[in-house]
Parts: sequence; structure tokens; C-alpha cells
Amino acid sequence: MISLRVRRRETAVAYTLLTPSLVGIGLFLVLPVFVVLWLSLRQWDLVSPSTFVGLRNYRDILSDPAVGNSFAVTALFTAMVIPVQTVLGLGVALLLNRRLPGSAFFRALYIVPWICAPLALGVVWKWMFDPTDGVLNAIIGHRITWLSSENLALPSVAAVSVWSQVGYVSLFFLAGLSAVPGHLYEAARIDGASAVRTFWHITLPLLRPTTFFILVTGIISSFQVFDTVYAMTSGGPAGHTDVIASHIYQEAFVDFRLGRAAALAVALLVVLVMVTVAQQLWFRRRITYELG
Amino acid sequence: MNSVKRVAGRRIAGNAATYLVLAAGAVVTVGPYLLSLLTSMKTPRQFGSQTSPLAFPSPFTLSNYSGLFSGEYGFVTPLVVTVQMVAVILVGQLLCSVLAAYAFARLRFPGRDALFWVYLSTLMVPQIVTLVPLYTMMAQAGLRNTFWGLVLPTVFGSPYAIFLLREYFRGIPGELIDAARVDGAGTPRVLWHVVVPMSRPILATLTIITIVTHWNNFLWPLIITTGPTWQVLTVATANLQGQYNGNWTLVTAATTVAMAPLVLLFLLFQRHVVRSISLTGMKS
Repeated sequence: MISLRVRRRETAVAYTLLTPSLVGIGLFLVLPVFVVLWLSLRQWDLVSPSTFVGLRNYRDILSDPAVGNSFAVTALFTAMVIPVQTVLGLGVALLLNRRLPGSAFFRALYIVPWICAPLALGVVWKWMFDPTDGVLNAIIGHRITWLSSENLALPSVAAVSVWSQVGYVSLFFLAGLSAVPGHLYEAARIDGASAVRTFWHITLPLLRPTTFFILVTGIISSFQVFDTVYAMTSGGPAGHTDVIASHIYQEAFVDFRLGRAAALAVALLVVLVMVTVAQQLWFRRRITYELG
Repeated sequence: MNSVKRVAGRRIAGNAATYLVLAAGAVVTVGPYLLSLLTSMKTPRQFGSQTSPLAFPSPFTLSNYSGLFSGEYGFVTPLVVTVQMVAVILVGQLLCSVLAAYAFARLRFPGRDALFWVYLSTLMVPQIVTLVPLYTMMAQAGLRNTFWGLVLPTVFGSPYAIFLLREYFRGIPGELIDAARVDGAGTPRVLWHVVVPMSRPILATLTIITIVTHWNNFLWPLIITTGPTWQVLTVATANLQGQYNGNWTLVTAATTVAMAPLVLLFLLFQRHVVRSISLTGMKS
């Protein structure tokens, strides 16, 4: 009897402690997922009452070239950013891992861009890229219109994204490198393996979990990039940097087509879940294969 | 002898190359900050007539900064609003997350595992997906362009903080909590006098993450506020840039103001920030 009462009390205490977070997470994280599904089936401009339109928003976005463009731009942006930041981050980590005097100083310096507001950094780089007043053209001595040229705008934004994240990525590789057991290197050295062979056959395979983490989180966050683009190009020129997040923002808060924006958000969620699952499957197979 | 010398020579060359690359990286990393700081200390006149944007300010001036804060461009309000917003979210989030994490880590109750699973699964939903519905919900509740509109979605605890705290709380020896209970301490006292003091490192980490995330947040404040009353620093910076495009001495002063507090915070707690990132993977 007593134990039952104690258990009831414990349950009451637990749910009291959970009340604030239940309200917060329920209202602001779980409910919006259902609201976005509901909204995606309706037409609404924020002013007049919304109307049910079935799957029309989905049909519309599937046939809208601007939507196709924004998915393509986002994929291209991701394809530019992820390999470069991963390779550079690994390179920096390898250099820092030599643990020469002063390494901690460089390590700290490299992550400064990562703690700064992407919006503010985007504005700073908009100035750096400015054709007449900017630093870049002053250094190279040519007048290049980086951000208003259709071919250069996206790579420029991608470069800023890489610049701000290399230090952050290298921190994870550094943690991964310090977890590689020293005796493996010792054994390789005794066997006369070259530095390159050691890297390919010991370091890289053992960094696989770290690499997996970096790739998954990197891809997911680059599919949501917004602030940097908003500051540097606002999606232009002519949609060449119109990433999905910019497009959703445009649909919802500039053109006031909330139903379509919601349908786009659902489509993005589906893509991201698919990316995550695909990466899980691919890496799991690779890892088991390695072990077996 | 000769080969020893050669090995030593190769090592010195290798170290020198390492430093060279690291230094080049440092220049590329810090360059934009220093250059925008320098530009923010030039007069618009010098900026307009200079031969190179790399030139040193002469004369040095703080007029861009005094202009920002003198009311003409209204940067005082955004600074105050940002500090308020970050402070309220920080306190609310830590408090609510500690309460929830304690329940998940230390209490037995029906529905615990299922509920924790729901909390965790919300981590997979990206902000951009919930943006539109969250906005419409806030608009329906009449909270557009209010302080509560800014803080409500995140003030009641974050699933990620709850996850990290739960892991940490599970490591606290049960005897300590039982001993406090035998002495007649209720749950609030146990939390405040046993659990919280023992969790300082993880609480410091969460403090850093929360401050960085919300000081830098842009998209939510951008859509939920309009006009100057509840403008935060990032939104004010973006608006200033849009309005005074080309007035780079002023704009770089604004970006410096937006970034300087966090950079200073980082310089003070550098070691802790580095550890926090490796520990948590931050925003991810």
C-alpha cells in the first residue's frame, strides 16, 4: 500500500517538474509539425479566411520552376560547401594535432567565426566582396562583380560558409584524432609504413564515425542556410542563390502564400529525413563491411 | 650522424611548413574582423577618397559608433532588447530544462520512456519547417511584434539541453540524493542544494550554447517583429545595411557592435567554449 502511495507521489512530482517543458515542447515543437501539415492543404494570405484546397499546393510546387530551382541551388550549395569544409577541417585538425607550441592559440582563433552571428558575418563579407569599395578586388587588382554575377554569387556565398565553419569542423576531427590509439601508429612505424599509407589505412578508417557525424550535421544545416544568403545576396541575382529557406521566407512573408510555404516546408522535411536515412544506411553498411 | 641530421632537418622544415599554413589560416580568419574594425574607425570622407580599402584610418574616429548610439540610427534599443531576450531565454531554458531532466533521470513514472522519446524526436525537426506554423500560431494569439513573441517558443526548455542534462544527472551518485532526502529535503531543495551544484560544468556549457544561439538568432526575430520597438541587433544590422547600402563605415561599426560582445565572451572563456563545442556538437 505504502509503495503504491510513494509511486503515485513520485508520478505527481515528475509531471509537476515536466509541466513547463511539456507546454513548451508540445506547443512550439510538436504542434507546429501538425499545423504545417494542415496549413499545406490550405490557401491563406494571412488576411482573408483560409480555404481548404487539398493537395493543390503540392501540385503547384512540384510544377513550379522556381521551386525546382531553389532545391537545385540548395543541393549545389551543399555540394560546394560540404566536401571543401570537411577536407579543410581535417587538414587543419592534422596540423593542430602535431601539437606544436601555440596550437591551442590557433585552434581558438579558427573558431571565432563560428561563434559570430552568420547575419553579421554575411554583411561583413558583402562589403569584402563589394566591386568598388571591397577588400578582395583591392587585393587582386581587378574589378569583379562577385555577388551580382550569376556564376560567382553562389560560390562566393559558399566560400563564406566554409570560411566560418572550418575551425568548428576541425574541432571534431581533432577530438577524433586524439581517440586513435597511439600503439597503432607505433606498429605502422615499425612496419615501415609511410606517413601517407598510415593516414589512408589507419587514421582515415578510424575517423569514420567523426566523418559521419560531420557529414550528416553539415548537410542538414547547409540545407537550411538562410542568414548568410539573406545578408549577401537575398537570393539573387535572378534566383541564383535562392536556397530553399530563402524561398520559403519569400513565399510566406513577402508574397503571403502561407499554404505554399507550408507545403515547401513539408517537402524540405521529407528530403532531410531521406538524406539522414540514406546516410545511416550507407555508413552502417560500410562500417560493418570494414569490421567483417 | 648524417641521417640523424637529415631527420632533424626534415622535422624543422615540417614544423616551419606547419606554422606557415597555420599562420596563413589565421590571417584569412582574422583579416575580415580587423579590416572591418579599421573601416568602422574611418570617416566616410576618408573611406570615399582612399586609394585602398586596406589603408589605415587617419584620422581615427569613433563618430560611426557615436552615430549608431546617438539615436539617429537607434542602436540602443536593439542592444537592450537583445540583452533582455537572451537573459530571459537563458534563465527560463535552464530552469525548465533542469526540472525536466531531473524527472527523466531520477524519477520513475508511467510514460517516462515514451515521453522522452517524443522530446528527442523533436530534435530532428529543423527550425525552417516549424517557422511558418509557429508564426501563424503567434499571429493568432496576437503576439506579433511583442517581447513574448520573441521569447515564448524557446523559453520553456530545449529538448537538447534536457537530453544533455539527463545524461549528466544520471551520473550523480544516488546516495547523495538519498542522504539529502533522509535529512528531510524535498525535491526543490535536492535540486538546488545537491543536483545543481554538482552539475556546474554542464550548466556552464549550456549557458554558452544558449547565449551564442540566441544572441545570433536572426530568422525568428526577423519575422515576428516589425519596426523599431522590438528589433534585435541582427535584424537592426540587416536593416541598416539595406537602408544605408554603401555607407560601409557605418555598416562595419554596426557589425562590430553585433559581434563584439560574443567575441569578448569567447576570449574570456575560450577553453570552456572549445570544450563545450567538442562535448555537444552545439546546434546540430
